Amino acid sequence: MSDLTGIMLVTMIIWIGLFAYVYRLDRKVNRLED
Amino acid sequence: MKRVGMSLKWALFVWMAMVIWAAFLWVPTAGGFKGESARIVFFHVPTAWVATLAFLVSCITSVMYLFRRDQRDDSRASVSAGLGLLFAVLATVTGAIFARIMWGAYWNWDPRQTSITILLLIYAAYFALRGAVADPEKRATLAAVYSILAFVTVPFLMFIVPRVYWSLHPDVITNADPNNRLDSAHLRVLLASLVGFTGLYVWLYTIGSRIETIRRRRQQEVL
Repeated sequence: MSDLTGIMLVTMIIWIGLFAYVYRLDRKVNRLED
Repeated sequence: MKRVGMSLKWALFVWMAMVIWAAFLWVPTAGGFKGESARIVFFHVPTAWVATLAFLVSCITSVMYLFRRDQRDDSRASVSAGLGLLFAVLATVTGAIFARIMWGAYWNWDPRQTSITILLLIYAAYFALRGAVADPEKRATLAAVYSILAFVTVPFLMFIVPRVYWSLHPDVITNADPNNRLDSAHLRVLLASLVGFTGLYVWLYTIGSRIETIRRRRQQEVL
């Protein structure tokens, strides 16, 4: 595996983690609004 | 409406995943840059753009607060300034990584690095001001005036200072240096990244504003 592929995978994991966190926060805010 | 919102969020997820893949594996190595350092442009430029956009939104909502005296406008200004500060820090960090690869040091006190440091301090002071005033109306008025004054410095610090003084920072879009070449594939990914980061900002801004509304409603219920 090349260095670029490794950096891409790390960046992708950060993005998936960030998206999952914000998505859960969004759903929690939805519940609080109801 | 909720279904459209849900689709947009998942579209953003796929869009940014494709941008990340393209930024590292699809576009060729750019000429005139050391190693693969040009690839950081796909994250550095959009974070700097979103920071500017967020500070602009904070300024606009602050003006709206001064006209309407609606606490929701104050909350929106605060949320947007917070996001602006966050994205400005990300732009500074990605810029420092680029500087390390290109010029051998994370920090060179280049005009661009110095001006963004001043900008970070100005917006950090905005939150210090908010934290120092207890009365909500007085805090909102002072913060609104400060936010407008702070935004006056943004075009000066982000666009004018780095161009008036000699800077190491490359102009990747309108560059005069024939060695720094980004071809159409680079520009396409950069534009896609700009769209994705703007979408992420809009989403975060909406969530932040809604949290502030819930917090204010609960405070009123307690009182």
